[in-house]
Amino acid sequence: MTLVMIAYYVLCAFLLALLAADFVREKRSRNDLVLTLLVMIPLILRLLRVK
Amino acid sequence: MKHEILVKSGLAAGLAALLIWGGLPLYRHRHFDLSIVEGPGVGDVMRLSAYSPGLAGTMADTSVFVLRGREPGGAALLLGDTHSNEPEGLLATLIFIENAVVDKGTVYIIPVFNNSGSRNTRAGDGYPLYFDVPTDWGAVRFRMGNRDASPLDQWPDPDVYIHYPERQMLSYIDVRNVNRTWPGRPAGPLMERVTYGAMEIMRREKVDVAVDMHGAETMFPVTNCIVAPERSVKIATLAALTVKAAEGFEDHVEPSPAGFRGLSHREIADHSATMPFLLEAPIPFLDQPTGPKTTKLLMDGKDPFLLSLAGKKKLFVPYDASGWSMDRRVGQHCSVVLEILRQFSRKNPGKAIVIRGVPRYADIVRQGVGHYFADPAKADAKKVVRN
Repeated sequence: MTLVMIAYYVLCAFLLALLAADFVREKRSRNDLVLTLLVMIPLILRLLRVK
Repeated sequence: MKHEILVKSGLAAGLAALLIWGGLPLYRHRHFDLSIVEGPGVGDVMRLSAYSPGLAGTMADTSVFVLRGREPGGAALLLGDTHSNEPEGLLATLIFIENAVVDKGTVYIIPVFNNSGSRNTRAGDGYPLYFDVPTDWGAVRFRMGNRDASPLDQWPDPDVYIHYPERQMLSYIDVRNVNRTWPGRPAGPLMERVTYGAMEIMRREKVDVAVDMHGAETMFPVTNCIVAPERSVKIATLAALTVKAAEGFEDHVEPSPAGFRGLSHREIADHSATMPFLLEAPIPFLDQPTGPKTTKLLMDGKDPFLLSLAGKKKLFVPYDASGWSMDRRVGQHCSVVLEILRQFSRKNPGKAIVIRGVPRYADIVRQGVGHYFADPAKADAKKVVRN
């Protein structure tokens, strides 16, 4: 795995952690919760090396 | 928000279910292996990483089958699944692996040349993940891959792919297209390491003839043909004329363009002593103006939209209601490969490559491709290769 690809996975994990924190902190909007989860999908799939 | 924990738990569970429902089929496809039964002619099975160590441990590493003749002679290399959405090359090479007996010379066969691409999909085009080939003992399942390697294995793509060594600027996506990365480098991008491995086979094993088997759209001008550079054009012409006269199908000769870099027929000729050929069989599944991309369309090649376009003379091949079946496409490839080897052997008797046991066009059209595949469940487990 190249250095760039490793950096990409680290970036994915970091963004996912930010989104997860947002999801936990969100107190008002259900729409925002759903949108946060939708944004997480490609990041999770990539981290799991599914797609 | 009322019932916050309940809502968040429910949404997270929904996301998990969605990921499993959508992701599991993709994960299974990527890790689905073909079972290839070694035929009577197979001597050794190696990995391409033996010739290109940079492939070791990657999804791009793939099996190389070696069929050694009883008598010395020339050497040939057959490639299938260069583009894994053109499976006629894969099926033709499997017919050779499972049926061929080599009397003279040596034949190297790489059935899944772009192993990473064969584990990739083209979801946006609605490609099926698998296709089944009926056999005498049941259906055998194959991965339906994509033209390019998976980004999981080679990433990121550059803005422009600068070909090595000619430095011609190609489309960014071509860095993952194993028919643009010839002749390759040992430590280049993953697909360059794949082509470098094949070049090393040709250089080290003194391969005389290399045949790269593809499929091409009926609306693409370079279809139903043998693409040959200057060095190969005489043999290609003789093969095309012979199959037309003796077996009744067209397969014209197209010259390999000297200015378009990265293609197997161009770079093999320019960077080795091997005589390359690229075979294109018409595959209606790849055409844009068709109905849904179903396995039925892949196998029988029948499409009402193409039929209508054929009536308006928009296709580059004859096309009628009988379509252009997988059996025809694979049959063409088998016959043309056999004819290329026969013509080469006639011209170079000291380097003859003589093969028997491989069916020709009419046999495959009559019996079906699957008739020539062995049942892995009934084969000696030591003779079954997973790829």
